[in-house]
Amino acid sequence: MAAAIEVVHPGWLSLVVDAGRPGHADIGVPRSSALDGLGLAALNRLLENSDDAPAIEVFGTNFSIAFSADTTAAITGARVSAFLDGAAVEPWATFRAKGGSLLRVAGVAGGFRYYVGFAGSMELPRIMGSFSTNLECMFGGFKGRPLIKGDRIGIAEGRRVDRKAVPESHIPDMSPPHVLRILDGPEKDWLTGDSLDKFCNIEKNLWYSVSAKSNRTGIRLEGEPMAFREGAAAGGIVSEGMLPGTVQVPPDGRPIIVLFERTMGGYARAGVVTSADLDRLAHLKPKDRVLFDRVTPDEALRLNTARRGYISSLYKTIGG
Amino acid sequence: MEILPYGENGLRLVFGKEVSLTVHEQVRNAYLSLKALSLPGVADIIPSFTTCLVVFDGTRTTFGALAGLLREKQEEMAAEWKAPRLHEVPVSYGREYGPDMDSVCAYSGLTEEEVVECHTSVVYTVFAVGFLPGFPYLGPLDKKLFMPRLDTPRVKVPKGSVGIAQLQTGVYPFDSPGGWRIIGKTRLRLFGAERPPYSLFVMGDKVRFVSV
Repeated sequence: MAAAIEVVHPGWLSLVVDAGRPGHADIGVPRSSALDGLGLAALNRLLENSDDAPAIEVFGTNFSIAFSADTTAAITGARVSAFLDGAAVEPWATFRAKGGSLLRVAGVAGGFRYYVGFAGSMELPRIMGSFSTNLECMFGGFKGRPLIKGDRIGIAEGRRVDRKAVPESHIPDMSPPHVLRILDGPEKDWLTGDSLDKFCNIEKNLWYSVSAKSNRTGIRLEGEPMAFREGAAAGGIVSEGMLPGTVQVPPDGRPIIVLFERTMGGYARAGVVTSADLDRLAHLKPKDRVLFDRVTPDEALRLNTARRGYISSLYKTIGG
Repeated sequence: MEILPYGENGLRLVFGKEVSLTVHEQVRNAYLSLKALSLPGVADIIPSFTTCLVVFDGTRTTFGALAGLLREKQEEMAAEWKAPRLHEVPVSYGREYGPDMDSVCAYSGLTEEEVVECHTSVVYTVFAVGFLPGFPYLGPLDKKLFMPRLDTPRVKVPKGSVGIAQLQTGVYPFDSPGGWRIIGKTRLRLFGAERPPYSLFVMGDKVRFVSV
């Protein structure tokens, strides 16, 4: 029997994603990439897949899949307690699933979104250069929609790979509180000094909390609303191109962190999350506490260099 | 043209603060030049009303290197490009296709015929494509049709709906939430992910609506 996986339970939301769909933002097509880029990249390294291979991004418990044939698989991203026919599966490590076995995620211990991948190629079409699902417009991924019970995805060129694991010491910390380092945004000065002091509140220890209204498009934050300076156009800016990680402030003053599903925006941009902390955004879940720490471009560069060093040492532990 | 950093991976080319056709032409020339140059490390170019955002891969280039290169190419980027394409978009106005037609008539004091006449008598410019894949931000709209957005956006605006908001008009390529006033609907397909060029409209195109 050809190797395939069948979805037995999709968790709260499971989507096929990859490293993203760049190059089409001029016609409004967003990247729709895996929110935790490192989680996905480490997964593909563990499985000896190419960097642009897809995986399933899941949040919520009870995600279960059945394997039709022997398959090597792994789970990265959030720390989950997962079981293969009742036997515990180690996080961030490959495992061999026998044909007929069932993988079930019973709980999520740290972080929010996790990535399930397979050694081999998921038999899906590449749309506009990517396997990622554009949920809003319903294209890419698996038929342009979240996975549901009964969906079946073939795994071509399945390979057995030697057991590989990322050691405990190298698995990133994904637990709240989340400290996000940010650079000034283009409209930072539209907000009052007092607001900015409170917003970049690392010393004052003032927190925002993640709203339940957050989704894959944006993370909404609850807390003291930011105030606009007199004369600043609180109504917004002339819409223009926007980067993932941008902290937008709508007229109500409650910040929204933009993720990978929008190319343009019209709200004032108070800050931009540093690239070193972008992957962390995948793990902000409702009610988590968030703290912003304002950094200079030089500090962001240092953080980025340190992050790259950490990523390459993580890759070394995998042996890739 | 101002060159400003935005985050670690963005470079904004700013051509002005106010929306105008003059600024639009400058953005368009820069956008088409940048596309033609296909500079190494540039991942995305997002042209809009007054700016062009260059998204770059920080492992392949830097803001400083890119800014220097763009300053050198400034003259090239100001060169005019060939005239834009003109699209005719057939629209069924009012009735079930335009649920906000009555409120637009009431707000503007115009009859439905006058609203249609007003909306179809202008050749619009695609100032930007975004919000949704293939969604054209068109303008400028005749001031007589100026109307604020809905206070509470609709949960679902059907694909093909033609809307107006303030001095803009646009067409929804997908079913989506939206706060624009819907006055009609087109059968034209605006976006298809299956094959290039994917989007019917690109920034800079011209559009005329035709009542059917």
